[in-house]
Amino acid sequence: MTVTPRFDEIIHPSTRLSIVALLAGADWVDFSFARDQLGLSDSALSKQFATLEEAGYLSIERPMTGRRRRVHVRLTGAGRTAFDGHVAALQEIVATSAPTRQEEADHASN
Amino acid sequence: MTNGPSHEEATRALESIRHDQSKVIAQIALPSWYWWGLAAGWIVLGVVSDLHNPWWISIATLAFGAAHASVAHWVIGGRQGSTQLRVRGEVAGAFTPWLIIGCLVALVAITIVGAVAGSVNGVSHPVTIASVGVAIIIVLGGPRLMGVVRRRAARRLGLP
Repeated sequence: MTVTPRFDEIIHPSTRLSIVALLAGADWVDFSFARDQLGLSDSALSKQFATLEEAGYLSIERPMTGRRRRVHVRLTGAGRTAFDGHVAALQEIVATSAPTRQEEADHASN
Repeated sequence: MTNGPSHEEATRALESIRHDQSKVIAQIALPSWYWWGLAAGWIVLGVVSDLHNPWWISIATLAFGAAHASVAHWVIGGRQGSTQLRVRGEVAGAFTPWLIIGCLVALVAITIVGAVAGSVNGVSHPVTIASVGVAIIIVLGGPRLMGVVRRRAARRLGLP
């Protein structure tokens, strides 16, 4: 399948990029797993989920397992397409643009 | 595209994506109860085989096969190692179930060779002894085998 490079402003902020990258490798992810892996508070993660859900990029389910209600989060088809396009756009930037002199200097000093 | 990220920002973003995806790959596993159950079943089959009763051997083999088949179809893909997520099939790789099945066939062969060798050398309960040896391989080697699967998945995603 051909992926069309498309830079996505909703996904690009680092926290949301991490969330979507984590979800992209899984059918679903438990809320607590995402929170622990990303080192975010419940409220910060909920806020980012709400933004992505509003964009139609993820869906949230609340299945019962035993007596506990879990929160499972998954990327929608639109979210997966947006993520793949965003990754392709980043790869295109890396492939076609050379680092600036300032970036080279920063990299050398690190 | 205007005001897109610079080369450096794009590189950092791709590194961050790989880092986050490696957290999912780290979850590719088979539940530990699978390895312990397989090892226990193997020993039971060995003990029953040493009874030399064809009925008991047939019943035990069928029970073992049925029990394994009932859990294998959703466990051996390596996607259900954690209760906190289900790894995507394309990330875990279609190769994982075949690797597990191939290893089971190899373990059957090792058990038979071990039992025959024990029997030729006059060891009492040769199948039981061979089965215990294989059970140890299962418990120690199973989780290591999944390490191979994780490394393969990481390479496929271009991770170090």
